[in-house]
Amino acid sequence: MMKSLLETKDLSKHFGGLKAVNKVNMKIYPGEILGLLGPNGAGKTVCFNLISGVYKPTSGIIEFEDTRTDGLAPYQVAAAGIGRTFQIVKPFGSLSVLENVLAARGISRYGSFLKIWRGWKTGSERKEAMSVLQKVGLAELADRKANLLPLGNLRRLEIARALIVGRKLLLLDESFSGLRHEEIARLERLIRNIRESGVTILLIEHNMRVAMNLCDRIIVLDHGRTIAEGDPESIQKDEKVIEAYLGGKGGTIAA
Amino acid sequence: MSSYLITVATIIAIYAIVVCGLNVIVGFAGQISLGHAAFFGIGAYASAILTTKAALSFWAALPLVILISGLIGLLLGLPSLRVKDDFLAITTIGINFIVEAVFLYIPFFGGALGIGGIPRILLFGVKMRGTAFFALCLVFLALVLLVCWWFTRSWGGLACFALREEEEAASSMGISPVRFKLLAFVLGTAMAGLGGALYAHYMRFLSATDFSFPLSITFLGMIVLGGMGTIWGPVLGALLLGVLPELFRPLVNYRMLFYTVILLLMIRFQPAGLLGENSIVRKVFSFRLLGERT
Repeated sequence: MMKSLLETKDLSKHFGGLKAVNKVNMKIYPGEILGLLGPNGAGKTVCFNLISGVYKPTSGIIEFEDTRTDGLAPYQVAAAGIGRTFQIVKPFGSLSVLENVLAARGISRYGSFLKIWRGWKTGSERKEAMSVLQKVGLAELADRKANLLPLGNLRRLEIARALIVGRKLLLLDESFSGLRHEEIARLERLIRNIRESGVTILLIEHNMRVAMNLCDRIIVLDHGRTIAEGDPESIQKDEKVIEAYLGGKGGTIAA
Repeated sequence: MSSYLITVATIIAIYAIVVCGLNVIVGFAGQISLGHAAFFGIGAYASAILTTKAALSFWAALPLVILISGLIGLLLGLPSLRVKDDFLAITTIGINFIVEAVFLYIPFFGGALGIGGIPRILLFGVKMRGTAFFALCLVFLALVLLVCWWFTRSWGGLACFALREEEEAASSMGISPVRFKLLAFVLGTAMAGLGGALYAHYMRFLSATDFSFPLSITFLGMIVLGGMGTIWGPVLGALLLGVLPELFRPLVNYRMLFYTVILLLMIRFQPAGLLGENSIVRKVFSFRLLGERT
């Protein structure tokens, strides 16, 4: 079996009595697109927040490239090479699109007290940021203030920033939600291209068609537990998955 | 120029230095601070004590004063940065009251009598007073503005802007919130300390009530008026809120009322300040020399 890039072992997060994530074991292999699916409240975003360091796990461990990352702060997880987007976009509103990306590009400097005094308006980083904007198709809007962009472009901006940080692993939280049909097709192409360039991708997705199209492998969560894992076809036929999405036969969800 | 005008101008220049420091904390890093007068006071008292009790010259004391102010800013910043927004505002008010009380009740700081006999600044054997002192303040103000300008163009500054805009997103990009907030805090309080030192050697007498909470509000009013997060906003704010009360002398008893009305009007009509984004001044002049809000 191939060595995993990221692995969670019995990962759990409880909020009081609520077991938002309950003993999830997940492996992400280098170069794959892994989909994290599940109905609302299944614990997908909590999983993301655990991996990216926003939450500390109640129990269980997270290993990234054989190093424990649970318990690290978000900025340390980012420095390890994991980038993420947010379900509700979080642009740096009053900064320009280019400045947004540059703020992410500064990651190689933020750790050193000496390196943060250099100027960000000149230098090779600027060129690099522009090439990432080119990649996501925002190059023409580089000087536009981020809070003037429509949602589709903001999602691209989120991906551009995450792409710079996530040299190894990219976590995409519902990047397709709220997008128009043609935007979805463009974003699908973009994500495939990113994978081609050697970045591993973990994505949360509600749009079934997109998930089935894009993912190599899918993990389905419900009530904080893994209920199914496999390739898109087998997931589509999985009874537990159908039950979780459409409701149990005997009204078990109502209980 | 008459000595009255010089006095007003000097105080305005000193306030501008202090308010530039507050702008680093509030405008650049987005951390509310309602206790900036405390750090102004710490600089003033540090310089007063070093030049009277330790008999250092102003110039020998100055680096120490800036260092002390920055370090105390760091120490007081550490616990206060565990809280956010309104809670941070309350905590910083608390810091202001505590610092004032320390000056007032601890005999070492002169107690209620304050500290007197602070020497004049000597530069090349010349005693600084009047116009010369004002010129010296302008030089320091220029240096402070240069540091601010540099900071807005540095990666550290960009990290602070990102934190100001979206802390969660910023930290997912490798920006440690604590580290960069403290950086802004130290820079800002060090500038307040510099202003304090100049104030001490201008007034030559200090009392704790010179640095009480209403002054912190005045400082905040200055950046709100001038334009938070801009380079020149603090200078314009200090100038306006320094000159207007002098012009309206009869209003002086109602100064706080006056500030409140100005603040309310600003919040209603010019939320980003006179030099901020989409402001009247920018629309009229629309030239970028005033310093872009980055």
